[in-house]
Amino acid sequence: MELRFTVNGQKQVLEVEPQARLLDVLREQLGLTGAKEGCGEGECGACTVLVDNLAVNSCLVLAHQARGRSVTTVEGLAPSGKLDALQQAFIQKGAIQCGYCTPGMLMSAKALLLRKPKPTEEEIRMALAGNLCRCTGYVNILRAVQDAAGTAESGEVRKA
Amino acid sequence: MAVRGNLEDSENRHETAGPEKLKQVGRSYPLHDAEAKATGRIRYTGDMSLQGMLCARILFSPLPHARIRRIDAAGALALPGVYGVFTHENTPDVLYNSQVWYAGQEALKDERLFPDTVRYIGDRVAAVVAANEQTAAKALGLIKVDYEELPAVFEAEQALRTDVPVPALAPWASPFFSKEISVGHVDECFEAPDAVVIEDRVETPKIHHAALEPHVCVAYPDHNGKITVLTPCQILYSVRLVVATVLGLPFNKVRVLKTPMGGSFGGKQEVTLEPLAAFFALATGRPVKIQLTRHESIISTRTRTKTIGYVRTAWDKAGNLLARDLKTVIDTGAYTSNGAIIGMAMGKKAFRLYRIPNQRYRTESVHTNTPVAGAARGYGSPQIHAITEINIDHAARRLGIDPVKLRLRNLVRPGDLDAGGGPPLGQAQIIACVAEGAKAFGWAQRRDAPHGTGRFRRGAGMACATHSNGYFGGFQDFTTMTLRMLEDGSMILNSGIQDLGCGTVTSMKQIIAEVMAISPDRIEAPEGDTETSPYDVGSQASRVTHVAGACALHTAGKLKEKLCREAAKLLECAPDEVILQSERIRSAAHPEKDCSYGEMVSLIQEKNRTEIIITETFQAQDNPGSYGADFVEVEVDTWTGLVRVVEVLAVHDVGRAINPGFVRGQIYGGVQMGIGYALTEDIAVDPVSGRAKGDRFSRYHLVNMPDMPPVRVILIEKGGDLGPFGAKSIGEIATCPTAPAVVNAVNQALGTNLETLPLTPERILRALACQ
Ligand code: FES
Ligand code: FES
Repeated sequence: MELRFTVNGQKQVLEVEPQARLLDVLREQLGLTGAKEGCGEGECGACTVLVDNLAVNSCLVLAHQARGRSVTTVEGLAPSGKLDALQQAFIQKGAIQCGYCTPGMLMSAKALLLRKPKPTEEEIRMALAGNLCRCTGYVNILRAVQDAAGTAESGEVRKA
Repeated sequence: MAVRGNLEDSENRHETAGPEKLKQVGRSYPLHDAEAKATGRIRYTGDMSLQGMLCARILFSPLPHARIRRIDAAGALALPGVYGVFTHENTPDVLYNSQVWYAGQEALKDERLFPDTVRYIGDRVAAVVAANEQTAAKALGLIKVDYEELPAVFEAEQALRTDVPVPALAPWASPFFSKEISVGHVDECFEAPDAVVIEDRVETPKIHHAALEPHVCVAYPDHNGKITVLTPCQILYSVRLVVATVLGLPFNKVRVLKTPMGGSFGGKQEVTLEPLAAFFALATGRPVKIQLTRHESIISTRTRTKTIGYVRTAWDKAGNLLARDLKTVIDTGAYTSNGAIIGMAMGKKAFRLYRIPNQRYRTESVHTNTPVAGAARGYGSPQIHAITEINIDHAARRLGIDPVKLRLRNLVRPGDLDAGGGPPLGQAQIIACVAEGAKAFGWAQRRDAPHGTGRFRRGAGMACATHSNGYFGGFQDFTTMTLRMLEDGSMILNSGIQDLGCGTVTSMKQIIAEVMAISPDRIEAPEGDTETSPYDVGSQASRVTHVAGACALHTAGKLKEKLCREAAKLLECAPDEVILQSERIRSAAHPEKDCSYGEMVSLIQEKNRTEIIITETFQAQDNPGSYGADFVEVEVDTWTGLVRVVEVLAVHDVGRAINPGFVRGQIYGGVQMGIGYALTEDIAVDPVSGRAKGDRFSRYHLVNMPDMPPVRVILIEKGGDLGPFGAKSIGEIATCPTAPAVVNAVNQALGTNLETLPLTPERILRALACQ
């Protein structure tokens, strides 16, 4: 079945099985291995990509659901080679350890900032609730998103 | 790499300033591969695709214990695109143990590629190797297996019973391992008439490491009979040992390359998929990838060892800990793995946190028909500290003494020896951790604050822990490294390191950079390759910073000596008159004749006919304790039984932070893991069916971002031990005090004595109902 859509600004026409998941098409047919599979059931967010600027779990979406839409993966975050503010902040704030959750985290955070450029801490926490990380305890991820949004308070994370 | 330190580098660090002013050590550089990770450019093993690569999928046992009568693979083999079906009938029957990391290591060997009797739900029955995942999955469904079901046992204490027959799981009796360590006169202390005796039974769950990257491995053969294994592993040389043993290959025909690690926490420390992938590659002559799903990773790889602890302490009225009697029952699951040594690892820690003149530790390890236990962050420390620290708080309540005061009275002090006979504790700064932490947390106020009487109750708790710094005193521990300076002044460190995402590569660079007066980004430090890298014991036992880091320091020191010696000939001065500064080199007498490192190395090659290269072996000579204390405030919803962790303060004695940002990162992650251990995480093997209930992420709950409390960190950096610049371990100790601190806080909030982890809503509500 033919699938026409845009991925990271590039128009694509592919022959895609009707049941193929978006995640597999991105990784296997387009070689965009940034999005990861951590659970395959919508629980971990490692596979998060943007579809028309909304964050979706690409393990739960059929590729054909993206017909005519615009998909952005982590590879598309820095199209001109210049890092996105989020990428810059993740690197500088120590929000990356093993890095396996990072592409998904970045895309969920990107969707948030596109919708809400100055989110509150609570909004960040809720927007990233579906992205699991085992390495960082989320502490520096929160700081990085705040930093990219320009809402970082100096010093420690919120006091209770 | 941006050459700037993190703003927080000076924050919350209690240092005893060393004589030298450090330029590179103590700065928070980003990870060497952070940008590759942030852009999706990095290739994890699952992202790799090789020409002609096949995919393997494994058929896992649906039964907890069964003899395989017959396997009919005809249907699977007939499917186009299937290259092979592998079972116990056509694979090596070589027995191995997945946790051995050096040749000659003693361990019970009871695992093979495919057994003829499956021992747990998740055991390997067969595998299909096919052109792609879909075909392999389809073929798996066509394999017919005829099982003869056998009786099974799912609970460790059931496996120890002598009054009922226990199903034979292994050729060894149950327990298959038991041991006792004893000092002083334990029984007498408990019999003393005025002793206050506090007794607990603490249970810790089998948990999943939950690295976001599920287990994965690629192997390929070459034209000369060599197998190359690409694996995100922790111990390259352990993988080589097991693969070569199972395949019957010389060690130099097995090449293991460490690939980027998508998280491990001990879960990828043991050898699981590698011998399978290597065998399939050899058998088919093609590259083969095995990629597990989350569900498969949970049930079929390794778990944290479920442990039942019996602890009795004897105290005098003033709060002196007179004696402790400890017993652990170790449930290693269906295969032995590290089931013997982990009980000992737990026991050894029990002698290194408090001054206890009389103590006995006994451990018994059993097999059950449940997922296999193995290495897991802390290697028994989270278990033993949950057991003992819950008991200490119980004692504090009974004695009417504040838990912080009670601990301060009994904790070890810097310079103490190990009463159990292990290596000296070194600069054990746990008292400083507790004292500083109590102050910064506002312990006294929070502890005395009213708990509330309504639906929500608040409580504060804390706990302490210790962990090791390598294998010195237990097993051989050394590392070899080769360091070179090239003709342009850049450097290459060639070593067997494996970075688990914690910053090993960058830390090594910082250490070398400090010695060589060079910028860390001028150093290349690739991870290990068993064909070309010198030997390393592995990223295990919290040894990397302390031991491998010390090796980097010594090697760099030797290289600097050589550079100065050779440069002195050209600068016509004595070697000790050569000055290295900001990647330039000169003699003290003629500072105007200053040249770059690259120019000097080129000149040395041309005139002195030699290379600036050093290979150095470093042997560990100490194994001090790393220490940590966590302070926690919780709020418990007495209607739902849900616990919210309000705030955590973690104070750690790390000797010296090579990269404080990395150290904090380890602590934040350790706290996340510890909260899960205390409250939500459990594979939860059903005692009737043997099926894991927490067998996927929708039924296995990691702490997510909304539930993660703010975490404050204080680092105690007083140095003094033999790690590089005094550095000690952090990755494992980071998670050790958290769970008992959370449990102690909940018990304070509710006035309960909960001691079975995790504190699920059901357990909390049941305890409240009993009040
Ligand atoms: S892989 Fe899609 S949510 Fe986990
Ligand atoms: S950085 Fe490893 S899972 Fe998030």
